[in-house]
Amino acid sequence: MFDLVIIGGGPAGVAGAIYAERKKINYLMIADSIGGQSIVSAKIENWIGLPNISGADLAITLENHLELIGVNKSIGEKVLSIEKKNNFFQIQTDKGKKYESRYLLIATGSHPRKMNVKGEDDFEGRGIFHCATCDAPLLKNKTVAIIGGGNAGLEAAIDLLAYASKIYILEYTDSLKGDAVTQEKLNNNSKVQIITQAKVIEVLGDKFVSGLKYEDLKNKNVVKEIKVDGIFVAIGVVPSSDLVKNFVKLNERGEIIVDHQTYQSSDPAIFAAGDVCDSLYQQNNIAVGDAIKAVLSIYNRIK
Amino acid sequence: MEKVKIYTTPNCPYCKMAKAYFQKNNVQYEEFDVSVDKKALEEMVSKSHQMGVPVIDINNEIIVGFNRSAIDAALHLK
Repeated sequence: MFDLVIIGGGPAGVAGAIYAERKKINYLMIADSIGGQSIVSAKIENWIGLPNISGADLAITLENHLELIGVNKSIGEKVLSIEKKNNFFQIQTDKGKKYESRYLLIATGSHPRKMNVKGEDDFEGRGIFHCATCDAPLLKNKTVAIIGGGNAGLEAAIDLLAYASKIYILEYTDSLKGDAVTQEKLNNNSKVQIITQAKVIEVLGDKFVSGLKYEDLKNKNVVKEIKVDGIFVAIGVVPSSDLVKNFVKLNERGEIIVDHQTYQSSDPAIFAAGDVCDSLYQQNNIAVGDAIKAVLSIYNRIK
Repeated sequence: MEKVKIYTTPNCPYCKMAKAYFQKNNVQYEEFDVSVDKKALEEMVSKSHQMGVPVIDINNEIIVGFNRSAIDAALHLK
């Protein structure tokens, strides 16, 4: 039986584990992978103390820190479910293991939102992509559609400019939401065509993606079809709070509601930090601070 | 000795992390940059039936993405 199990390997989970180690709590960190959502960033310029680091290098640095101080961890293990017993939690993982803990720190972050349209699951990896930095080079001289006109979508478009022959950006609302500077770069490029008020309804293809259908919301919802070889989906993220949704109060976005001094949720033995909790700002540096406050609060309860 | 191939693109963060993981565990690997190597790209797609990188081939077992538990299992690392 552990006093604390930390679930998640982003900046919040890593910070929580480092503090749990320093406080000599009887704990375990379980994470599918290390690094969190900013792994895919080519350049992070706001991580305090390291003015320019890639997401992959940040992930490697974080893992080195865990190893250097001997954090008790299981990386590459995924928590499948959590059961609440009388005065502890039982945690089941994909390795068939069961762990027990008195307290939990949920630092599971968030995951990409799906479009929930026909064909989406069938073409995952077969033309539907999420990491433009990774997969843009495979779309040399191809036509691509980016779904979502926020910063993530626009940055994907920038990554694709060097490769794709044509880039559609489909945005559900009536205007792009990403930074003006990025919008300007794209507006001035003849490869880019922006389609606003477009609601994607189906991904088309055989073995690989060949096109998509969308409703034109500014034109009586007429269904239109475009031919594309690749689709990048960037329509935001959903907090990964499913594991504890039956035990704690969530807000309307699905984030775990916490007290922002202690990071305790509505269940006194469950704490949450980072993007999975109801912080106002989704930032690596903030996630770190959240998790440290949570672990120190837990320490004060069990010492 | 395990036979490990990794199909990558130049700036792909998961590719970089996978290679760092192999290096840390002293696993020798052969890398193919599918952004320039057309033959390797075709090989990767036919093996994995998809186009995303990285694709890792460990003794003909195909792993899509930097999936650590699958890599650990294929290499008997843990």
